Amino acid sequence: MRIDRTRDLGPYVEKEGDDRIICRCEEVTQGEIRKAVHDGMFTLTEVRRYLRCGMGLCQGQTCGKLVRGIIARELGEKPSELEPATSRSPMRPTEMHVWANEETNEEGA
Amino acid sequence: MKRYDLIIIGAGPSGLSAAIEAAKRKMNVVVFDENARPGGQLFKQIHKFFGSKEHKAKIRGFVIGEQLLKEATDLGVDVELDSTVMGIYPNREIVVRQGDHVNHFKGDSIIVATGAAENMVTFDGWTLPGVIGAGAAQTMMNLHGIKPGNKILMLGSGNVGLVVSYQLLQAGCEVVALVDAAPRVGGYGVHASKVARTGVPFYLSHTIVKADGTDHVTGVTIAEVDSKFQFIPGTEKHFDVDTICLAVGLSPMSQLLKMAGCEMDNSGPAEVPVIDESGATSVPGIYAVGDVAGIEEASSAMIEGRMAGIKVAEYLGFEEAEKGDKEFDKNVAALDGLRQGMFAPRNRGKKIEKTEEGIDISENLLLHGFVADDEIERFPGVTHRAGVHPVMECTQNIPCNPCEDACPKHVIEVGSNITNLPHIVEGNECIDCGMCVASCSGQAIFLINEDTGDGKAEVTMPYEFLPLPTEGQTGKALSREGKPVCDATVVRVRSSKAYDHTNLVTISVPKDMVMKARFFKAV
Amino acid sequence: MGDTQERIANHPILGTYEKGEPVTFTYDGKEMTGFEGEPIAMALKANGVMVHRYTAKKHLPRGIFCAIGRCTDCVMVVDGEPNVRTCMTPLKEGMDVRTQYGVSDKPFDEQ
Repeated sequence: MRIDRTRDLGPYVEKEGDDRIICRCEEVTQGEIRKAVHDGMFTLTEVRRYLRCGMGLCQGQTCGKLVRGIIARELGEKPSELEPATSRSPMRPTEMHVWANEETNEEGA
Repeated sequence: MKRYDLIIIGAGPSGLSAAIEAAKRKMNVVVFDENARPGGQLFKQIHKFFGSKEHKAKIRGFVIGEQLLKEATDLGVDVELDSTVMGIYPNREIVVRQGDHVNHFKGDSIIVATGAAENMVTFDGWTLPGVIGAGAAQTMMNLHGIKPGNKILMLGSGNVGLVVSYQLLQAGCEVVALVDAAPRVGGYGVHASKVARTGVPFYLSHTIVKADGTDHVTGVTIAEVDSKFQFIPGTEKHFDVDTICLAVGLSPMSQLLKMAGCEMDNSGPAEVPVIDESGATSVPGIYAVGDVAGIEEASSAMIEGRMAGIKVAEYLGFEEAEKGDKEFDKNVAALDGLRQGMFAPRNRGKKIEKTEEGIDISENLLLHGFVADDEIERFPGVTHRAGVHPVMECTQNIPCNPCEDACPKHVIEVGSNITNLPHIVEGNECIDCGMCVASCSGQAIFLINEDTGDGKAEVTMPYEFLPLPTEGQTGKALSREGKPVCDATVVRVRSSKAYDHTNLVTISVPKDMVMKARFFKAV
Repeated sequence: MGDTQERIANHPILGTYEKGEPVTFTYDGKEMTGFEGEPIAMALKANGVMVHRYTAKKHLPRGIFCAIGRCTDCVMVVDGEPNVRTCMTPLKEGMDVRTQYGVSDKPFDEQ
């Protein structure tokens, strides 16, 4: 997907609701997400790595769609025009000691 | 690593239905579900389902769940609970967390039936304890017998918001308001009406400004919004509540499909897999059914599951193509039947002005959740005659016809087009058996006797609350809007196994109130 | 068990609910009762507990939100282990359930 990096979004200007928490797990606010876009984070993945929103215990289950909407609005795009976030294992948070019990023999389970 | 003919992810209505069809064809099937209980959302659905007999209409959701589960396990389907699928890898290998272990399985085919997750909206205070999802409310009251709160505000007038509001009332909670930013009620009018007549006010074109409270919710402020969803200053209304319930839509949980490399459609509000009629994705052997493939009702999900189950069996040679296709086509027809009417997927977001019969839609129903007195008479189910007769306040074309089957005297007819509004068959006599009242999933049928002498009339209504009124009890009759209109005396209370927990309460009211009184409140 | 106001004694459709044996557990050291096998969060709710934890950064209260193990807002310190999803974890006799501050059971000023 092509991403136009030449866009000038202008400076970040605070607006109503910016102190509202969007990512409940990592406590990331609307303002922080909007500011990240002005800092040049144009995709869900970039914002996620920049702010950790969607990287907490729930793995973006709750805020994913909200974050997508905020980034899109800031870029003046439709949410569907954004590069979608990646999906990878594990789908649910899993303790390291459980991964240590990963079945390795061919007979298992 | 264990191998199966078919691995199904999700033991909800679509997953279990797919398992049944595949197991019937002698396939070796496992269903993994991350929850401690199977059935997906079915066990939280305590209302009677819409549809026709073939769609398990008028059976309550949790009973359908029990039936599906029994059918699947009787056929030898292995349903593994507390089993979280962590990922799908090439060649249909999956990794599953079970207890403190991570196990690998391989399927010759995989059906993903992971369902949907709730959407959220944000407002000041939305992270406070006491702000909960509608699904959470259902889990608490219908699975665990815990009241989600005592005074509750519901945000969302889609079927989830309406159905859960009604369930909250059944659980003994007070619903102080039903609020939606949309200008019109989103769900079935009959679901709205059964909430409205108990006295719950509807606030359309309103949304939440903020939740109050320091450690938990103590109140909520709503305000009207304009056509651009901006608050209109000066329209704020405050309610003392301990709980705010959010029912603002669902999104498919499609991440596993994406990880598996299935082609996704990102053009809508949520990512969905690109699938054919049978649920087949772009990756051979991987199918998607139910809400994960697009949000619909549970009745549709069950048929989609059956269709994929048949096709998977064909794909792996467990079913002859010709025989399977015949069965498949029957399900296509059934699914098509469910996708008719005003709430069909193709009508989503559209405002329908007239019924299929050409009658103007009740505007008041869309704006306030109940049909106004001056609108109700224009619908075909509403007629006047001597003696007891059904009045069917069914005003929107929904694919549903249990009332027709329920009447032993064939007084009620829907006809071959299942979305028709029901009407009375002239010449056939109502015997006041009450089966129509109890069978109507929308609780929209009343038995009326317009003149019982002494200037009185009688109204028989469906009643699914406790305590059940008793004969001789006095109170107020409430209008469709839930406002007291007159004194009422309970003259008869009927409960029967055939009514399936819908009790029939008959009240005596002044004659001129017979078309207004639609609920009873003891005083 | 707990504040009976919060429990539905008799439901018009579902009747009574199947529950395990009554058990005793502690919430921040305070003795409470619930039913074995029901999610810890349900027993807490029946006892009128709303706040399950305070967040790490802003120290704000959280409680039950999704009730199906997805949002992880209801996590608490259970038998010494933090981040336990109380809406999914069955209650057992003698369980030690504590409010979670960040990822600790110690209030922030003691951390």
